[in-house]
Amino acid sequence: MNIEPAAIGRGLRLPGILLILGLTIELISLLWAKPLAFILFAFVGGALFLAGIFLYLYSLVAARS
Amino acid sequence: MHLPAPAELLYALLLISIVLVVIVVLRPGITNSREGKMLAFLAFLILPVLCMFWGASEHIDRSKQTQFCLSCHVMEAYGKSLYVDDPSYVPAAHFQNHRIPVDEACYTCHTDYAMYGGIRAKMQGLQHIYVQYLGTIPNPIKLYTPYNNRECLHCHLGARSFESNPIHVALLDSIKSNQTSCITSGCHDTVHNVANQKNVKFWSPAQ
Repeated sequence: MNIEPAAIGRGLRLPGILLILGLTIELISLLWAKPLAFILFAFVGGALFLAGIFLYLYSLVAARS
Repeated sequence: MHLPAPAELLYALLLISIVLVVIVVLRPGITNSREGKMLAFLAFLILPVLCMFWGASEHIDRSKQTQFCLSCHVMEAYGKSLYVDDPSYVPAAHFQNHRIPVDEACYTCHTDYAMYGGIRAKMQGLQHIYVQYLGTIPNPIKLYTPYNNRECLHCHLGARSFESNPIHVALLDSIKSNQTSCITSGCHDTVHNVANQKNVKFWSPAQ
């Protein structure tokens, strides 16, 4: 069973955007040493990051099937 | 030779991760090749996971800093109490004489020196943030539980200055079991004492 290359490529757009946002928020949060920066990192950046990873893994599985 | 600080390396890794993800998103055709799939796997999974764990560790380290604790308005008076010019103020005497790390003054005395104490301190820290931004801040603020002597004994037990005091020796079992509190039994009872801050002198460290 082969993975369809185009399907992977298409499926990477949304997880990619979520990961870029998540990583950018992590980068911004690290510029402060304040409690709100931790909240931004853990809850906003973390949620985007987890959604991005989940969708990336899902796109691999979906492309296989 | 100047070595980059861990935080600078983390910034660099984050930027590299973002650039790699952007490359894969803008040129999805590169995932047609085996190398491209490996690059996507690195950019979408390995590097972001590494960045998140490293970032979490960096944030946890920063949350131990004195300036982090004092960044909330409600803690300002407690921060000021570290500069009271009176050795009977326990936190001030510890802070000014560097008996505790100055950069981690609050955390050193207010973490639990027990198993999972650090995790418990972090969970309470999240509760503090909730109260700070969404709840009602009690006035005056209080500890959740009475101050445990264990936190004092973590450093003082076994120290010559502590054990050469006959009162400490006589009461050692009672101190260890918290029956006699270090700070509320009349021995070292001047702690932050922020209510009385208008009437005290402050020490200014030489720069």
